[in-house]
Amino acid sequence: MIETQIQSFLPLKTQWFHIMLSLAGEEQHGYGIMQEVLQRTTGKVRLWPATLYGSIKRLIEANLIEESSARPAPELDDARRRYYRLTPLGRDVLNAECERLQELVQAIHTKQTMMTERG
Amino acid sequence: MDIAWPIYRRLAAAFPHEFKLAFGDEMMQTGEDAIADVAKRHGVFGLICLIADLLLRLPIEYLNEMRRDLPYAARTLIKSPGYAVVGIVSMGLGIGLTTNVYSLSWVVLTRTLPGVANAEQLVTAENPASYPYIERYREQKNLFAGVAAVQNWVQFNIALDGHNSKPDRVYGQLVSPDYFSVLGMNAQRGRLLSADLDKTGAPASVVVSDRYWRGRLNADPDAIGRTIHLNGQPATIVGITPRKFDGSLTPSQAELFVPTTVSARLAPELGNDVLHNPSAKDFQLLFRLAPDVTVDSAEAALDGITRRLDKDDPFAPPQQDTAKRVVLLPAGTRVPVPRGMRSKIMGFYVVLMVIIVAIACLNLATMMLARVASRRKELAIRLGVGASRFRLIRQMVTEGILLSLIGGAAGFAMAYGLWALTAHTRLPPGSPIGIDTALDWHTAIFVLVLAVACGIGFSILPALQATKTNVASALKDGAALQLSGYRRFGLRNMAMSAQVAGSMMLLLIAGFLVLGVMDGNSIQTNFDRKTMVFLSIDPVRDGYTPDKAQAFFERLPEQLRNASAVTSFALAEQPPYQPSGGGQFHLKVDDPRASSPVEMTMEERTVGAGYFAVLNEPILAGREFEQRDQRVDAEALKASGAPVPALPLVLNEKAARALFGKDNPIGKHLRGDRRAYEVVGVVPDRRDAGGSILAIAFLPLTRHDFSQPPGGGITIIARGHSAEDALGGVRSVAVSMDPNLTLYNVQTLSEYFELARTAMGAALRTFGGIGVFGLVLSAIGLAGVTGCAVAQRRKEIGIRMALGARKSQVLALVLREGATLIAVGTVIGFLGAIALAKALSAFTTWVSDALSVGVDDPRLLIGAPLLLAGLALLACYIPARRATKIDPIQALRQE
Repeated sequence: MIETQIQSFLPLKTQWFHIMLSLAGEEQHGYGIMQEVLQRTTGKVRLWPATLYGSIKRLIEANLIEESSARPAPELDDARRRYYRLTPLGRDVLNAECERLQELVQAIHTKQTMMTERG
Repeated sequence: MDIAWPIYRRLAAAFPHEFKLAFGDEMMQTGEDAIADVAKRHGVFGLICLIADLLLRLPIEYLNEMRRDLPYAARTLIKSPGYAVVGIVSMGLGIGLTTNVYSLSWVVLTRTLPGVANAEQLVTAENPASYPYIERYREQKNLFAGVAAVQNWVQFNIALDGHNSKPDRVYGQLVSPDYFSVLGMNAQRGRLLSADLDKTGAPASVVVSDRYWRGRLNADPDAIGRTIHLNGQPATIVGITPRKFDGSLTPSQAELFVPTTVSARLAPELGNDVLHNPSAKDFQLLFRLAPDVTVDSAEAALDGITRRLDKDDPFAPPQQDTAKRVVLLPAGTRVPVPRGMRSKIMGFYVVLMVIIVAIACLNLATMMLARVASRRKELAIRLGVGASRFRLIRQMVTEGILLSLIGGAAGFAMAYGLWALTAHTRLPPGSPIGIDTALDWHTAIFVLVLAVACGIGFSILPALQATKTNVASALKDGAALQLSGYRRFGLRNMAMSAQVAGSMMLLLIAGFLVLGVMDGNSIQTNFDRKTMVFLSIDPVRDGYTPDKAQAFFERLPEQLRNASAVTSFALAEQPPYQPSGGGQFHLKVDDPRASSPVEMTMEERTVGAGYFAVLNEPILAGREFEQRDQRVDAEALKASGAPVPALPLVLNEKAARALFGKDNPIGKHLRGDRRAYEVVGVVPDRRDAGGSILAIAFLPLTRHDFSQPPGGGITIIARGHSAEDALGGVRSVAVSMDPNLTLYNVQTLSEYFELARTAMGAALRTFGGIGVFGLVLSAIGLAGVTGCAVAQRRKEIGIRMALGARKSQVLALVLREGATLIAVGTVIGFLGAIALAKALSAFTTWVSDALSVGVDDPRLLIGAPLLLAGLALLACYIPARRATKIDPIQALRQE
């Protein structure tokens, strides 16, 4: 049952995947997600604000992420910021997606090896 | 960057309320943080991306919100099925009727002719012209790209399978060979007529309409090149018109297009050398304006040319110099309508449609106001927990649009039903009018737009009012908040009065039209209508020479007199009791002493000897036509140069009064366009099938008419012991004279009246439906509003009853409110309807004919307000009675 629910999200949309991947380690606020994605992809993927929050809204509605009540140390906190984290379902979906991508990469490797051997 | 930030802020603020509640602040913050970074990394391009991203997401977020509104709206509607059903029915009726009016009238007025290129360049002249004039117009190459001559409504006896088959009677157009090139049209199959191929003396070629090809020739691909017989002469079908094209310049359907280059034996209309006679103004004109020529400049130039031509024509009637001789009308649509008239007719339909739609909307608005009053608590809670006012309004408007869309679908189905009814109505022969008004995608789009507009229209005001709630007091007091009595000018009361007024207007206008049409149908005859039959005969189109035809008609009366089955008979150009539509005739009193002689235009009817006797009409003064009047052959006399005696003329009372006042008209002389007349008799006025009394001049049938029968042939009107007897008598006489003659349009008078009634039935159904619609809707609306008022005032009524108010007093209290609304609405509606009717009477269409009959009918002027007010009071009474059943103890305990 849960397996089919997880599968129904795959493959994840690029923005969703990036957002969820940013939340895999620690809780983050929107701007933090944006910055992290930017750094991780060396500036290739930029989540523009409206797209970012639109995606966050839909991720919350899909129950993949949720708002976190934990706040950072008061001197670092900004009252306007909200922090998000993965839900258990979100974690499972992210794992499943990562597995799927790894299998894909595996398959590519095998192909490449075959091609170099032949060539 | 300086500009980017304010734009960002504005756009971010425009996001839906729910979105902003969750992410608004953060999005601002992120934007503020990101904007500098973006500017640094990507420059202006980055900033543009930032803004574009907002612009793209904005509608997506709104649609996303609304996607959730729709199921919610559906659930609310399902929860109150009564409201939903009434709403859908009234919206459906409103939209259905409007669609019907739109598709029947509006589309006909505005849709361009099918298959025609650049229809806006086509114009026609109001008055027909003669062929020599048209040839002169054709020379004006700088004004016109083409000029064609058209004779409409020309009848042909068509035999598809050689000489021996029984011919059919069809209507066609006699057109100059360049007709189709002026229209800019290409053949669907074969070729259309052309000036190069269809020259005088060439074998006769004809084009048939797409409708005829499909209907009568079974879409036979080999029809091209087939030889048929028209009026007994061979002709070849050379082509099929484009789909749906069946003639221009006329609402009637033409099946055949015959070039004016055929012989006069094939088309007797061409006899008498009409193509070279400048006085035979037998042709309608179809001009294609040259590029960049305006209608006004073409009109002015044509006027000048016509004046010069008139001056050279010795037979041209003397005309007042100031009057325009040529008036051009746009001809790109099915029915050419004068330029000034068009906006008026459209105005009428717009008013009609607006009233219908407004009533339906007002009805729903009042119901919705009543509903939201009971939903106050729900709304207050939603406002209290943070819903925005805009959000609630949007929710309610979505509900309205959903209701209206379902109603629109129902309305479209209803319009389709009405159309199917109309389309299957058989029209009387002799009026080949049947406009193709299939509901197409134009109409579907019209319905969709109308439905959405209505949905927004009726729900926006109630939604605005309902959300203007003071949350705290609404939560405390719930639904029974307002005890502050009755607000005289509250939105709901005004909407209700407006609705009653609108219904009143619709009921009266519909009533005027229905009565007008019915009066027209209740034609009085001075004899048993089961005893009359009429039929047409046209020897010339059966191949007779003019002389032979003349001789035939000389002998016919004698033979008919000897037939025992026929008790009385007469010949005429048209059957009696036809709606107006005969020729127009301009007459001037011929009195050398008068400085400015009376002149007027009236209807012309050409009738034979004994016409009034066969109709049993009394002759008020003088005499009616006799056989000797028919022997006059004015054309022959004129040709021989002999003095032409004045032609006898019979006037009806209205015409006699208009021309001579109280003087005795007998023996007076009149001048028409081309000759002199002497009044020999006066007959009483009769309403025609259109319901109106027209001034009519009756002219005698002459030998000329017999040798050149008018387009519809000569009608024999006969009476016997029964119509069947009379018909048998006429048939046996005709067969004994020539078994090969075609007798057509055979009809008993009862059949004719029956058909006229069915034809009018379509109009009656539409207008009757409109009237009933108004009544039903205002009753529903009033019942709903009163019911809701009672529910709101439960507590107040309970207190009153506890204090000793009697049931009758409670009833009076509730009814008084309703009665005030009804009275105000009725009076406004009554005055509005009268004003509208007067305004409409300015037109010379059948609308005003019908209106003028009904407008001062006391049945309607007193009956309609009484009916509406009575029904409305009844609608108030039912909920008011419920008020008297309120148990004071329960009502007081409830809150």
